[in-house]
Amino acid sequence: MYNDVRFKLNGKDMIYTGDPLRRLLDVLREDYSLTGSKEGCGEGECGACSIVKDGELVTSCIIPVGAVNGCELLTIEGIRDTEKGKCIIDAYAEGGAVQCGFCIPGMVMATYCLLNKNPNPSEEEIRVGISGNICRCTGYDLIVECIRLAAEKGASIWNK
Amino acid sequence: MEQVKCYMPQTLQEALEIRNETHATILAGGSDLMVSKSMGAGITPAFSGPVMLIAGVKELKGIRALPDGSVEIGALTTSAEISRSELVHPLLRDAASRMGAIALRNSATIGGNIGNASPKGDMPQPLILLDAMVVLKSIDSERTIKVDDYILGSKKTALSDNEIITKVILPPQNFTHIFFRKIGMRRANAISKLTLSAAAVVKDGIVVDFRASSGAAGPKVARSRAAEEMLIGKTLQELPEVKDAFLDAWNNVISPHAMPEYRRNSTRRMLAYFIDALAAGHPEGRVD
Repeated sequence: MYNDVRFKLNGKDMIYTGDPLRRLLDVLREDYSLTGSKEGCGEGECGACSIVKDGELVTSCIIPVGAVNGCELLTIEGIRDTEKGKCIIDAYAEGGAVQCGFCIPGMVMATYCLLNKNPNPSEEEIRVGISGNICRCTGYDLIVECIRLAAEKGASIWNK
Repeated sequence: MEQVKCYMPQTLQEALEIRNETHATILAGGSDLMVSKSMGAGITPAFSGPVMLIAGVKELKGIRALPDGSVEIGALTTSAEISRSELVHPLLRDAASRMGAIALRNSATIGGNIGNASPKGDMPQPLILLDAMVVLKSIDSERTIKVDDYILGSKKTALSDNEIITKVILPPQNFTHIFFRKIGMRRANAISKLTLSAAAVVKDGIVVDFRASSGAAGPKVARSRAAEEMLIGKTLQELPEVKDAFLDAWNNVISPHAMPEYRRNSTRRMLAYFIDALAAGHPEGRVD
C-alpha cells in the first residue's frame, strides 16, 4: 500500500495513509473537513487555497500531500482563534475588507505571513504581500487598508 | 482511474536507486507538474507512470559558496530562497523574484524550472547568460554540463531516464553592467511574454565582454556567442557604429513562434537601450 505521510496540521500530529499524489487542498477539505481553504483556479495562481507550510505561504492546490511529509502546516482554522488570527480577522471586519468572502481565508493567510515577517509594512509592501491573492470583487483598497489597520492595532503582537 | 506508484525517498541515494529502477517522473515543487496533470477539484492528478516526490531529500537544498568563487545551488532550492540570497548573481535573483507570486515562489524549485524546460521558464534565461552548469547524477555516474547544452528545446532535455538534477553551479562573474527585463501581463503573478538579460564588462573604455540571452523568444533560451563577439573588443565610441549589425544578428538568433513581430521589435529595443546606455558611459552597476 502507500507509505505513511506524517505532518503537523494546526498543531496536531497527523498520519495520512492514502494516495500521496492527491492534492493537499483536497485532503484538507475532504479528509479533515478544513473547508476554509478554497479552490479558485487550481493552478497556484489565485491564492484562495493559501496555507502556511513551515512558516512560508504556499498554495495547497499544487502540492501533492506526500510532499509535506515532516512539515508543519497551518490553515485558516489553525490561526483564527489565535491572538494573531483574531487581530487580522477583527481588522478585516472593522474596516470592511470582505465582499463576497471567497478570497478572504487566503488573504488572511497571506496577511499572517506578511505581518510575521514585516510587522510594519508600507502600502507597497502590503500590495506585494498579497500580490498572489486575487480578489474577484476587486476590493483590494479596503483589504490593503485593513492590513494596515491590523499592523497598527496589533503592533504589540506582531513585534513580539 | 488506475493508481500509479508513488515513491517518497528521504535520501539522495534512495532517490537515485528508485530513479534507476523505475525511471519515475521526478516531482519537486509541483508548480508545473501538478498543474499540467491536474484533473480538477477533488481528483488525484493523472500521471501516466510512477512518480517520485523528492521534496524530502534534504541534500538537494541550499546555496553554498565554493572556494573557487563559484556558487552551488541545490536542485530543490526554491525561487524565494534564490531571490533572497546575497550569494546568487543579481540577474538570477531578478528572474527568480519575478516568478509567479509569493506562494508559488515558495514552492517552485530551480531543478524543476530547468528540468521542465518550458520556453517560458524564467530561470534558464539568466542561467544560460551566466554560463551556469547543471550537475546530473545517476546511481553510478555524475556529469556536469552547461544549462545551455542541457535544454535541447521546448520541454526537451538531455536528462537520462536514470539521472536526477542535483545542483546548479554559477561560475564567478565580474560584469560591470547588467540589465534585466521581464515583460508580462502584470507586475506580479505573470507568465513571461518575453524576457531579456544582458551583461557587459567595460574596462578602460573597451567592451571586454558582452552577453545577452532571450527567454520566451523561441523553443529554448536564445544566446549567440558569434553575435556577442561583434561587440567584444570595441571601444564605447565604436558601439553606435556596430549596434545595428549586432541587432540584426540577434534578430536571427531568436525564433519567436507567436506574435513574432512584437517579440522581435521588443527584443531589439531592449538590447538597443542597454547598448546605448553603455555607449553613453553609464556608471557601473545595473542599467534600469
